[in-house]
Amino acid sequence: MTTTLAIRGVTKQFGHGATSVEAVRGVGLSVESGEVLLIMGPSGSGKSTLLSIMGALLRPTAGTVTLNGVAISQLPERDLPPVRLREFGFVFQDFNLLAALSALENVALVAELAGTARAEALRRAGELLTELGLAERVAFLPDQLSGGEKQRVAIARALINDPSVILADEPTANLDSSNGHEIMRTLRAVAKERGRSVVIVSHDQRIRDIADRVVWLEDGQLRDLMTMAVDPVCGMSVEHDRAVTLEQGGELRFFCSRGCRAEFLGELDGPAETRPARTGPLASLFQAVRPKTP
Amino acid sequence: MLAWRNLSRDPIRLLLSVAGVAVSIVLILLLVGYRSGIYAQASAYLDHAPGSALVAERGVADFFGTTSTLEPRVVEQVASLPGVAAAVPIVTQFVVFEEHGRKDGMFLVGYDPAKGGGPWRLAAGREPATDEEIVLDGVAAGQHGIGLGDRIRILDRDLAVVGLSEDTTFWSGSMAFARIGALETLLRAPGLRSFLLVTPTPGASLPSLTTAVSSLGADLVPKSTLIANDRRLLARVYDAPIGLMVAIAFVIGILVVGLVIYTSTVERRREYGALKAIGAGNRALYRVVATQALIAALLGAGSGAVLAVVGERALMAWRPQFRVEIDAATLVVVLASSLLMAAIASLVPARALAGLEPAEVLRS
Ligand SMILES: Nc1ncnc2c1ncn2[C@@H]1O[C@H](COP(=O)(O)OP(=O)(O)OP(=O)(O)O)[C@@H](O)[C@H]1O
Ligand SMILES: [Mg+2]
Repeated sequence: MTTTLAIRGVTKQFGHGATSVEAVRGVGLSVESGEVLLIMGPSGSGKSTLLSIMGALLRPTAGTVTLNGVAISQLPERDLPPVRLREFGFVFQDFNLLAALSALENVALVAELAGTARAEALRRAGELLTELGLAERVAFLPDQLSGGEKQRVAIARALINDPSVILADEPTANLDSSNGHEIMRTLRAVAKERGRSVVIVSHDQRIRDIADRVVWLEDGQLRDLMTMAVDPVCGMSVEHDRAVTLEQGGELRFFCSRGCRAEFLGELDGPAETRPARTGPLASLFQAVRPKTP
Repeated sequence: MLAWRNLSRDPIRLLLSVAGVAVSIVLILLLVGYRSGIYAQASAYLDHAPGSALVAERGVADFFGTTSTLEPRVVEQVASLPGVAAAVPIVTQFVVFEEHGRKDGMFLVGYDPAKGGGPWRLAAGREPATDEEIVLDGVAAGQHGIGLGDRIRILDRDLAVVGLSEDTTFWSGSMAFARIGALETLLRAPGLRSFLLVTPTPGASLPSLTTAVSSLGADLVPKSTLIANDRRLLARVYDAPIGLMVAIAFVIGILVVGLVIYTSTVERRREYGALKAIGAGNRALYRVVATQALIAALLGAGSGAVLAVVGERALMAWRPQFRVEIDAATLVVVLASSLLMAAIASLVPARALAGLEPAEVLRS
């Protein structure tokens, strides 16, 4: 059976009166099983807040969250822990493994919380860690693992209770790019091979390609993604209307600032805005020598 | 599992909390043991004296606290009452004894060595044979540097120390034993008798004996009543300060465990927050901190109990006048109180956990 996590008209307001913040405003979204949804947006745009609401960690001020037709945003607080435990798997930016427990125990503990007997929990945790390529690391403490290994343990922990939805907040932010890619591939495999819904929050442009769908959150609202572009120099996301543009070889490029455009063109030739757009072999040479350019 | 790992991965902290509880348990055990030691000492004389009841002056209901004087007529007639197998007269007087500039309370007992009521165990020497001889408590004599054969001055008379008794210190000093005649002379009260130690004949009716003694103008008081009243007297003096110290020790134990568990909980705040986000309920997290407190408290109580028993031996060897009695019942009570410590100590950390928002873990 396919599962659907859907939110409708979700708003979250923190505080009251003059100092109140509307972190999420009227957002509607849904994610199907087997789908990888990427939520992007600038810092403070409400991504984590939205993810918390989707994962039943936060109650929306308005709107509903439904999982397979059940309005989980309407459940009383005491019914939420089992929902979090069985229906959602969380992966955090800073891993949040329990420092006192081994990799194996970190994963098994979550199964035990869900009522699985100790021996069975340890067996399943071992299997899962082996599948994730950590067979050699099961007895290690988190401190003895690399960042990528820790995040894979965290993914195993998120998967152990067979949840329908995996929610990951900036899962690659503390990893180098190769480890980051590895984690993203793993998360994609979780969606494709296990049929889970995977929701990832990130502002890492490198991972756009693993997502089935990308949504852009800004000021707590979803923006039309078609109007967003990526600065090829600094990797920042920019809105088309606000971007500094460059027409090049029949292709339109968008930059966050004149500085980035100038850097893109190379300072040798003077201020960028006074120069005509470069075309032809020279432009591709510029691209080739710039490591940051995708 | 998590509780134990949290503790064992941090041995210094574990050691600290265990030591804290141990110190508090040692204090509690020694204080409570000291108190029961005092009580045991207070009843030692009556526990060992012959008979099961005492004839005392009308209205006197304790042994150490009040002076009792029996009329000679009573002394004569009680012995011949039906149902009385033996009535051993004794004279008691509390005096302050000073020697080598050191003052001590001394509870003097005049008795007849032929009839009983004297020291029940001698460490050295013999019982007094003349009115010029005395048996001192061995520990008190040692403290004053008095040995067998020395002469000591009591009130205005010199007496020769012929024996040293054991087990005869008590809360406000020590006991000393002389012949009745010696006390009559010392107190200038010929014929003075304070109590009769009464042994009823087997099968004698105690109520009718009580009535008979009462009709003579005195009271027949069972030993158990006297002991209970002496204890009540003691309780008035000792229970409040000892109770206060026990309470302080108890609070120290709670504070140490509480603080250690609390700091470890705060330090692992993010971990616990993540656990909440993953779906651990408050109850599961309480269990983790409560188990940590419990392990610390039980380890502390165990090592504390061992230390206290060792300390008890050491203390009594070093200062024999302190009698510390730690019995099984006390150990059980203290074990229970360590459980209580754990429960109270985990209240604050548990509250901190309850207030933890699961969504907080996503905020950097
Ligand atoms: N518990 C809270 N109380 C008050 N304000 C909050 C709370 N949580 C979030 N906010 C506010 O809501 C807004 C959105 O925060 P959120 O953490 O969701 O942003 P984000 O997109 O995840 O940012 P980042 O990329 O930096 O992680 C911010 O202005 C933040 O200050
Ligand atoms: Mg965030």
